[in-house]
Amino acid sequence: MTDKNPDKGYIALLGWSLNAIDAVDRFDRRYVVVAPPWAEDYCKQNDIPYVAWDFDRLNERSHELAHRLDDMGVDVAIPIFEETVEWAGAVNAVLMKNPRLLGQSMLFRDKSLMKRRAQLGGIRVGVFEEAHDRGDVIRFLKRVNQTLLKLDGDPNDPIHFKAFDKSGTAGHRVIRTPEDVDNIPDEEFPALLESHLDGWEFAVEAWIKDGKIQFLNISEYVTLGYSVFVPATPELEEHRARITEEIEKLIEVFDIDFGFIHPEYFLTSDNKLYFGEVAYRPPGFNALELIERAYGFNGYQGLVLAFDPKTTQEELDAFFPTEVVDAKGHAGCFGVYPRRRVVSRLEVPEETANHPYFEFHELSDPREQKVAKRSAFGTHWGLAYFFGDNAHDLRDLLKRQEELDYYV
Amino acid sequence: MSPRNAFAVDGQTADDQAALTRLSETLDRAIDRLDEARPFAKARHQRPVLDVLGRVIALPGGLGRIRQRAARMDAAGLFSGSDWDQPEVLLPQLVAGTLVSDDPSLRALEAASLARFLAVAEGEARHANLHQEGARHFLTQVLALNLKDLFGAPDEAARALGARHDLKRRVLSHIADHIGLNDVLSVLVSEIWRLLEQRSIQVGVVKDMIAQIAIALSEKGTEPGSTRLGAERLVSALFGPTTASRDDPGLAVYLERISVADESGLSREAMGFARAMHDTGLVSDYHAAFLTWALDYENRPLIPEALGLGTTGLDCWQHYRGLIEKLVRSAVSLQTPQAAYGLALLLDRGILHHAPMVPALERQLSLQLRGAARERIALGFAAGDAPETALLAGVLQVLGQPLGVGQGANPTCQSARAIAMWALIDPDYLLFLVTQVAEFDMLQMQFEGTVINSGDLPAGLAGAGPIDADPVSVLLVAHLDRIYAEMGRLCAGRPGDPHKWINPQFHGWWVSRDCAVAVDVATGQLAGYDDFLRRFFAAYHPAFNGGRPLGHPQPAGIAVTDAQQRFVGWHAIAILRVAEDQAGRMRVYFYNPNNDSGQDWGNGVVVSTSGHGERYGEGSLEFEAFLSRVYLFHDEPLRREEGREIAPELIATVRDQAVASWAADRQGAG
Repeated sequence: MTDKNPDKGYIALLGWSLNAIDAVDRFDRRYVVVAPPWAEDYCKQNDIPYVAWDFDRLNERSHELAHRLDDMGVDVAIPIFEETVEWAGAVNAVLMKNPRLLGQSMLFRDKSLMKRRAQLGGIRVGVFEEAHDRGDVIRFLKRVNQTLLKLDGDPNDPIHFKAFDKSGTAGHRVIRTPEDVDNIPDEEFPALLESHLDGWEFAVEAWIKDGKIQFLNISEYVTLGYSVFVPATPELEEHRARITEEIEKLIEVFDIDFGFIHPEYFLTSDNKLYFGEVAYRPPGFNALELIERAYGFNGYQGLVLAFDPKTTQEELDAFFPTEVVDAKGHAGCFGVYPRRRVVSRLEVPEETANHPYFEFHELSDPREQKVAKRSAFGTHWGLAYFFGDNAHDLRDLLKRQEELDYYV
Repeated sequence: MSPRNAFAVDGQTADDQAALTRLSETLDRAIDRLDEARPFAKARHQRPVLDVLGRVIALPGGLGRIRQRAARMDAAGLFSGSDWDQPEVLLPQLVAGTLVSDDPSLRALEAASLARFLAVAEGEARHANLHQEGARHFLTQVLALNLKDLFGAPDEAARALGARHDLKRRVLSHIADHIGLNDVLSVLVSEIWRLLEQRSIQVGVVKDMIAQIAIALSEKGTEPGSTRLGAERLVSALFGPTTASRDDPGLAVYLERISVADESGLSREAMGFARAMHDTGLVSDYHAAFLTWALDYENRPLIPEALGLGTTGLDCWQHYRGLIEKLVRSAVSLQTPQAAYGLALLLDRGILHHAPMVPALERQLSLQLRGAARERIALGFAAGDAPETALLAGVLQVLGQPLGVGQGANPTCQSARAIAMWALIDPDYLLFLVTQVAEFDMLQMQFEGTVINSGDLPAGLAGAGPIDADPVSVLLVAHLDRIYAEMGRLCAGRPGDPHKWINPQFHGWWVSRDCAVAVDVATGQLAGYDDFLRRFFAAYHPAFNGGRPLGHPQPAGIAVTDAQQRFVGWHAIAILRVAEDQAGRMRVYFYNPNNDSGQDWGNGVVVSTSGHGERYGEGSLEFEAFLSRVYLFHDEPLRREEGREIAPELIATVRDQAVASWAADRQGAG
């Protein structure tokens, strides 16, 4: 750690992510990883500064962690996973002597509270409700479809079911029939229910400092749970000004002074923007890597700048490029799921392998996996990465991948 | 540039060229990411590099691009965390398997590793642990071991691999285009000679390699020189060892030629065959045909000359001519030419003078294989002959070349060792066992008075038994293996290592009745190790055992280590004799059933198979080096008090070598 600048902030990463550690280790600030005890040997072997901590349940010991980090001279804690968001809030409340940060983090962790707060702040949200049992889900499904003037026997419009405190697509189910409701396991309650919005779904990654957006990326979903690319198509980027306003509303409503947010939106056919949810942590699906591929900066290092109270505006301006115009191309990735019931080997489809946009994949060997029936949006078997000049070609290419077998 | 160079830049289409340029850029980016990553985060970035690599290699000219980037990929950490990170310990014989692995990233990894060797060999790159000469030598060995993929039509197995075989062939050709084939032939030739020195019974692979050389010589030609001489010596031993067969005329023409030859011409043929056979241990098909033909040549016996018998062999011929002629007639065929070599050595061992042997061989001549035993022999050695011919040929070979028995790719070192030892000192007992299994498909032995019948037992380590070994092993090993396992079960609950009781019961009275083990069986930790070493000195070293030579071979257990001295596993061998070599150093000569005794066990402990007084089939090490790898041996209970005077320094030397290798983490109990 001799090459680290002692005048800059000292940060703590909450949660274990090799990508994040790698990026931060290559950056110019002191850091420490706060991770479960199983990481200890690995950290010792690799000289990774480390504090053992069990994040299972937030309790009175959060104070202990905060004071330990405070004693070490740590300036700020950065949450890496959904599960560490409120820990970061609790720790930062102590480190920065700002108790409000804990309350703020609780909002990010509870999808229902989050939605109500957004609604109160004048942000447009879809119809939603909390569900504590399956009966609540059935009632919501019926009511939404009655509102849509569906007759008995018409296929239902789907509703979305999201476990309160799960991140991304984990615990996210699309419900169409009462049978779907039966398949929800008990442990996923309580949950948030949302009406389905037909439209263009996208996510935003925003690095925030001093209440100002420092960099705003729009990630366009081709198919939720399968594929995403950045920067978005020109058609979606057209809405950038409105989207920026929406993000500024979020900053105001959630009282965000610094850090990183990752909200999701719908742009419906009547040209209205609906807020879906927001997370105060890096996105899944390696979106930060896509941003790095397109823009050349490391998103985790950006996180460090955004969280560190000692970062200067000059540093931020030098670090972040200009949105859209500075992108070298469009970078996308596709999450591969096996399509067949029984697979024996990985074989990248020939048309993909020969496509000039295809870069490489990180797919695991089928011998390391078994095909599970997908209930919620499950975990993919790895990502295939693409890069090219034309956003439309890239979008169509990603869509096309859904029809191809990577595992045979 | 050779016409084989499939990667010449001119051979590319414009599309290929564009794709190659684009993919090379993608590869560079993937390498950059890998390069930037901290050592602990390399693993995740390796797979993308390998993925792009795999696609670059598939393009014409791709291997060249890989070679240019090989050093950078290595430095970036492509190999970190894998065995490939230490090129100096890689084994050339494993390359072929990885190149056709069903995991594309392994194939790409091996290709990248070879590209790195090539870049270093060509002087384009440097590597801290790999010298230019070393890299070149490695690649030469790789080519030598895979010569058949460079020449000739692909066989069934290769065809089944399809595109993977194609990749392998292209990689090998690319290397050959840069390294040249002259070196390859010389490596191959010396490798073959090294194997031949050990006189294995199974020479199929060696014969295949020689056939590849023959094709290479006629297709490519080489410059004259010692390599060419050595290669031609091998080729001629197989395909034209005598005046009348020199031009490899085919059997029909050859038999015509000798039918009109005069007495001195026939003598020359017979001696030519004998010379080539004893020179290489290989028997030409012409030789087999000649022997069969000579049986009916009435003017005078040509068999002794054609077998190249020494005085003992000739004496046997005088006494047992009838039996020997029957053996030639029944055992030596175009499918089993090697039986002639086995017979020649058997006769020179003089074992026909051992009273039970003549009736035992007569019995073998009339033996009819039955049931499952017959099916197994037919399955393993079906080509053309009756299973009885294959078995008889196998019997002659085992009796002629006891130390040529190998275990094949099977975990049955104990059974292979037993067969070799019986062939060496108890040949009639071995034939007794062969008869039992051939006729009844079962084997009976006793363990401390308890009768064990292999027919009643479940399959042992080797399952249904090997089929990639010699006929006698194929017949016996499955049964021996079960009996061995059953003896182990009968020892359950006894303290210490069960081999103490099993080995004498299994092999015979001649195994010494006491047994020393270097480790505590329950914990695996060294226990009483200094005493163990003293006992070994006292039992086996002529300077400490009163100069008594070893009478019978003794089973012993070895802790096998690899070239890095890391423990690989326990292995059964037999100590044959302890004697000084030409340089006056005391050596242990031993039999290793593992097919190829020449192994590097690390830290200078390299098993020698020739040049240090070894007889055919023996491996040898200097006494202390050998002892440093021993973990179990037998000695006589009545002589336990000897060896107290051995200098502590001597013991310490051996102990240090053991502790530096297999016993590194076994020092708990001291």
